[in-house]
Amino acid sequence: MRNTGGLLRTLRTLRARATRALPAPGAPEAPRTLGALVLAALLLAAAPAMAGSGPPDLTGVWSIVGHTSTLKTIEGSLPPLNAAARTLYEQHLAAAARGDRSFDGVTRCLPPGLPRLMLMNEPFEILQRQRVIYFVHQLNRLPRRAYLGEQLPEDPDPLYLGFSVAHWQGDVLVIESSGFREGTLLDDAGLPHSDALHLTERYQLGKDGRTLHARFKIEDPKTYTHSWNAQAEYVRRPGYEIPEEVCADQLASKLRQNGKD
Amino acid sequence: MSGPLGQRGTKAGACLRAFVWTLLVAGTAVAAPPAPKTLFNSGDPTLALTPPLRGAGIAPPGSAPPNADPHNLEGVWWLQGYEYMLGPASGVPPPLKPEYMRILERRIRAKNRGTPEADASTQCFPHGMPRLMESPYPIEIVQTPGRITFLHEVAHNIRRIWMNRAHPANPPLTFLGDSVGHWEADTLVVDTVGLNDRTFIDDEGSSHSTRLHTIERYRKIDGGANLELIMTVEDPVTLEHPYSYRRVYHWRPDIRPQEYVCEENNRNAPINGVTVAK
Repeated sequence: MRNTGGLLRTLRTLRARATRALPAPGAPEAPRTLGALVLAALLLAAAPAMAGSGPPDLTGVWSIVGHTSTLKTIEGSLPPLNAAARTLYEQHLAAAARGDRSFDGVTRCLPPGLPRLMLMNEPFEILQRQRVIYFVHQLNRLPRRAYLGEQLPEDPDPLYLGFSVAHWQGDVLVIESSGFREGTLLDDAGLPHSDALHLTERYQLGKDGRTLHARFKIEDPKTYTHSWNAQAEYVRRPGYEIPEEVCADQLASKLRQNGKD
Repeated sequence: MSGPLGQRGTKAGACLRAFVWTLLVAGTAVAAPPAPKTLFNSGDPTLALTPPLRGAGIAPPGSAPPNADPHNLEGVWWLQGYEYMLGPASGVPPPLKPEYMRILERRIRAKNRGTPEADASTQCFPHGMPRLMESPYPIEIVQTPGRITFLHEVAHNIRRIWMNRAHPANPPLTFLGDSVGHWEADTLVVDTVGLNDRTFIDDEGSSHSTRLHTIERYRKIDGGANLELIMTVEDPVTLEHPYSYRRVYHWRPDIRPQEYVCEENNRNAPINGVTVAK
């Protein structure tokens, strides 16, 4: 789906600006030339988008294909955990096996962190704008922003979802994130990470425009012996409107039913 | 009154009470906080209202100028002032029917006793309408084809406003309802129904029913430096009649909505006099 409304609006704005940039009759020659140049540059800038050769429009609702609770490398193996992280991971697996998921903040409605949020079964919506790509997830209505044309901060505040910057490499949307707080997990099973996690996501629209391929590069020298890659695929959900999902409300109902409230 | 200090008719008790009152009055004279406004100016301290706070200021010098296109509302907006009770005017309750006014009184008294009723937002549920638009946190507006999206920093509330379409016949009842919008010249009109009755109209605790209907009229003013909202609230169950009020949101391109995890704990506190929710 092309961003026709946005494009029309942009063109209207450009036209309005170009009109204002044109000098009044009798104005000196130089500004008129400048005005014409500005107009030409604006039209040139708008042309590729009109021809459809700009970045693809990812705006819309997406669902993961083949949700898995265990994130594997692209080669299909267990990620290269270092010894300490492997012990922690095995503790998570053992706890989950006896029904204790207290290690997982998601069970208490905390944000899942990344890339796990992108691996959830619930659909999410992308709102693609020129300076920001928004991901709005059905899961507890979590928003995520990736700022285009910016660098990662050197000393970011630790957040559940980190800080994300994005750029287009041709038709691939590349998102770099850091500034993650410890304690979230990379997947449902319990793959750990540290505050040194650096995530690179690459999103590419399939040729049919209905699928989205994602590749995740995980760099975390405190947790993994070397960087590794994982992947996921999403499918468009035309017509699907994300309902209001309130984790705390669902949790309260569950606790009431279990008589723990 | 009961207990040894309050026994009526004993000389010692009367003297002690007089002494205590003298101390209290003297203390009040020194501290001299203005008497809080009370519901209907009754003077009843158990019905004291939480006074409005200053709220956010305007963007600092050097910030990006506002967009001149009246139909482009994209960017971050921040409410001017923070009203705990906003009916037709500041500190005036909505025109509640008597039985719902009694509920409001009960809630205000509970608050003043230090045992407020836990409303939706304190349980990390969405704030509901119209209260969400009265929250003193930044709002980011995103416009995509057929949609205007409000991303609220507070408790990651999100409103999806579907442009140029009607409400579904029987929308499911949710905290933020079903919102549809259209442009009337340079005014964005947003109509919301399908709201559950688990939220309050305002911070003091005015009730609404599932027949609540809000109509918001947004218009850029002051060259786009401010966004004006005329909010109209209708509820044939709890209100005697509809009412409206006006609010202003400042254009704040210098602000980025931050990660807000109510579910962990609300650790926010006033910073440099700028209010955030309690």
